[in-house]
Amino acid sequence: MSVIEVTNLTKYYGKSRGIVDVSFTEEEGEIFGFIGPNGAGKSTTIRLLLSLIHPTSGSARIFGKDVTTHGPEIRRDIGYLPSEVFYYEGMKVIDLLKYSASFFDCDCIQRMHELSETMELDLNRRISDLSYGNKKKVGIVQGLLHSPKLLFLDEPTAGLDPLMQRKFFDLIRAENARGVTVFFSSHILGEVQRLCTRVGIIREGKIVEISNIRALQQNNYKKISVAAERLTPAAFEMPGVTNVQVEDGTLRFFFKGDINAVLQKVGAIQVTDVTIEEPTLEEIFMHYYE
Amino acid sequence: MNIFLRELKANLKSLLIWSAIIALLIMIAAAKFSAFAGNPEMLAILDSMPPAMLDAMNMRAFNLTTLSGFYGLMFLYFGLMGAMAAAIWGSDIISKEERDKTVEFSLVLPVSRSHVVTAKALAALVNCIAFVLITWGISLVAVRSYSPDQVFHEFLRLEMLAMFLIELIFLAVGLLLGCAMKRYKLSASTAVGIILGTYMLSILSEMQKDLDFLKYFTPFRYFDAGEFFHSGTLEGIYLLLTALILVVCVAAAYLTYNRRDLYI
Repeated sequence: MSVIEVTNLTKYYGKSRGIVDVSFTEEEGEIFGFIGPNGAGKSTTIRLLLSLIHPTSGSARIFGKDVTTHGPEIRRDIGYLPSEVFYYEGMKVIDLLKYSASFFDCDCIQRMHELSETMELDLNRRISDLSYGNKKKVGIVQGLLHSPKLLFLDEPTAGLDPLMQRKFFDLIRAENARGVTVFFSSHILGEVQRLCTRVGIIREGKIVEISNIRALQQNNYKKISVAAERLTPAAFEMPGVTNVQVEDGTLRFFFKGDINAVLQKVGAIQVTDVTIEEPTLEEIFMHYYE
Repeated sequence: MNIFLRELKANLKSLLIWSAIIALLIMIAAAKFSAFAGNPEMLAILDSMPPAMLDAMNMRAFNLTTLSGFYGLMFLYFGLMGAMAAAIWGSDIISKEERDKTVEFSLVLPVSRSHVVTAKALAALVNCIAFVLITWGISLVAVRSYSPDQVFHEFLRLEMLAMFLIELIFLAVGLLLGCAMKRYKLSASTAVGIILGTYMLSILSEMQKDLDFLKYFTPFRYFDAGEFFHSGTLEGIYLLLTALILVVCVAAAYLTYNRRDLYI
């Protein structure tokens, strides 16, 4: 079953572009990565799905229900971690979390304590005294405490130290293992690569590519480096070779095409070292940006 | 219910501050009134003042040496204070979520926007009721030593009712501004601007007889202490206008808030 179905969703803020003609679906139990540079329209898409803002045209459905007409109903099963977390400053963390829990039909208190323990969150501090990272932790606990079926994460790791990031990812994986669908928006590709099964790439408000993360890496470029004595770029002059760099006798380049062609060339020279790698998502991504 | 209770708690401080201000005002005025009370010389001084000025201050309708007369003059402050407090409460209670950027939390909760507006409006309404009751209570304490009679109590009751209706009008106006204006910074100041504007209008319509028709456009003329002191009742046409303003503003508030994009 599709948890999220977005059809030709378009949003203009007056004349300035939000997103244009965005369509994609996310299946139940998936972790969908939504990647794009700042200002590409990632947050706009999420806010449309949460009906904080309304579409100019097109539509979106979550759990099979239209987001503009069934907002409150849909949001019962949604957890949202915004990129910047703001709560009522005067409240204590525990009061805020209890307040949030009171809107859901659940006994969330035990889960609140478990989550806070995992994220090492001090419940007795005032929101206004918290650092950016600690506010983010409150956001994580608040977003998860009612055991939502669908999670929206908008640049979730900003402000968390590496240790906390790992705990957070473990938490998300555990949630996903329970069947929770995750919509993960980020501009940091490494983390998307670690977590997601499928990605959508958005640029200047438009979806450029939606694909399986494996396919994205495999059907694309190979990253090849060859080390040999007296090696010149001329040795690998052939169609499909790009981004050639020479450094200390090592030749690095990207290759797209039949890998055997490269292997033949490699076989023809006396090499000291060869590596053929999948490019990182980052490198693929730069390609889409250019 | 949880939104309502949280808002009550969050607005308590503001209610206390407004109450303290009005308490101070009443106490100072009551102390000053001791110089006027039953003093015929004061009447002579007032009579020598230019009539236009007396009109502007609404001082002609009352005998300022009596307690009721003095309280008729006080109504000016009650109306203005009530209007200010109500308008600010009404607009802030909605727009502060956008100002403090908490909309991404509070409106992602599984509640409809209408539900949010209702809960918040009710919390602001409770504040308005409390503000009138506090004003009433402090008034009773402040005038105790002047042995108020039945006429005064009846007049005070009408004044408090009128103050409450003014509060309601500006609460609804404030609510509408908070709901409709995306530029949250402007909503409270626009509300205060409307209050000052309509107040000026009420003075103007009173001083220039050919501008009398303007009285329908300013809630401050709907409840004229001089008139209801003498008639002993609030005028039906103005009550109708009040009801109309309330319905229109509240309906427009719900409509716009449901339709517009939240400012994030």
